[in-house]
Amino acid sequence: MGIHNQVRSDVVDATPELTVSPLAERSGLRMAGEVGLATRGVWERALEQVVDGDGDVYYLELSSVTFVDVAGAGALACAAQRLPDGRRMVLHRPPPVLRRVLETFWPELSAIEVSMS
Amino acid sequence: MSAAAEPFESIRAAASADPFVHPALFYGSEREYLAGTVSFVRAGLAAGDPVAVAVPGENLALIRDGLGADADAVRLMDMREAGRNPGRIIPGVLRAFADAQPPGRRVRIIGEPIWAGRSDTEYPACVQHEALINAAFTGRTVSILCPYDTRRLAPRVIADAYATHPTVVHAGSGPETYSGVYDPDDVVARYNEPLPPAPHVPALAFDADALAHARHTATDLAARLGLSGMRLQDLALVTAELTTNSVVHGGGSGTLRVWAEDGHVLCEVHDKGRLTDPLAGRRPAPREQRGGRGLLMVNLVADLVRLHTDADGTTVRCWFAC
Repeated sequence: MGIHNQVRSDVVDATPELTVSPLAERSGLRMAGEVGLATRGVWERALEQVVDGDGDVYYLELSSVTFVDVAGAGALACAAQRLPDGRRMVLHRPPPVLRRVLETFWPELSAIEVSMS
Repeated sequence: MSAAAEPFESIRAAASADPFVHPALFYGSEREYLAGTVSFVRAGLAAGDPVAVAVPGENLALIRDGLGADADAVRLMDMREAGRNPGRIIPGVLRAFADAQPPGRRVRIIGEPIWAGRSDTEYPACVQHEALINAAFTGRTVSILCPYDTRRLAPRVIADAYATHPTVVHAGSGPETYSGVYDPDDVVARYNEPLPPAPHVPALAFDADALAHARHTATDLAARLGLSGMRLQDLALVTAELTTNSVVHGGGSGTLRVWAEDGHVLCEVHDKGRLTDPLAGRRPAPREQRGGRGLLMVNLVADLVRLHTDADGTTVRCWFAC
């Protein structure tokens, strides 16, 4: 058994997408899609909004984000490290792969809180 | 004359001396193993130095028993777990311990990455790891003692240990001596071997536009081949990092294969780039550093990583136990 595509077949998949929309009920963003090379720009611009935003807590609703690569996790950690003292971001239902990378490289990043409820 | 020459000689010796110490310890019995390792640990503890031991589980038990109550002061790790992938040992075991210690103390580690059960597939990665320890720790006040079981390891493994360690100790028979044939760069080059042929599975070609498709395809196939849970997530991550590296650093495109072999799912990425930094993926990244963690993550999560690179391109093959 192997991969059955003999040639590139990107027509099968639409271009990977990452959509970003503001949360209605609180300060934060809802994201949906995947974070990889093609969507890194969208992801990093959204994280800039987090850093520039006000309010002590900024929510990132990630339950519809299915994948984040290591560079995407790095951009998130970098944004968290730039938050002023007292501000933090709450990741709501991040994909397991993002938690895996954050726990591997930034286990003591106090400005990031994970909420699975 | 000799009285005048002597200070000059000692200055030269001091100037060229690397504080990093990396002897191979050859042992032929349990008694020799304990004599060589326990004395190394006790010397460190007596000096107030931080000490870690990363050896296969059965040897870890021997050392723990040999140390008695002193074992509590030592960081003990089963190398079969922590160092299953040899590419993980420098960042995930040796530097993870050494970098966490306060400055000004000599850090002492016993690291046994090569045991009799290591397969022919694993061995090139093991011996390259031993060679690369030298480049990774040059200039550091660190001692890493590497035991080798002369009863069970093949003669070529013992011969290679002379090339990967500047000095050697025969447990129970005399002091540390110069290897005489130390040449780690030659070992890294010599074991940069073409990988055993992959079975006839079709290759998926990818470029920047097909990275997500390549990852989905690899992940779906790995799931059908029996990988699940976090291991499947790890394979998705590894596929993403390797294919993205091909696009960004390896000529813009590459090919991907996934197949099952001996209880593992394997994923392999080939591209036209050449990896020139042998320590790539083996340096821990400071938390402030933004990028450059892709190959490191691959080394940390895969059960084995083999790599071949030359003028024609680079192939990285990763194993995941089902």
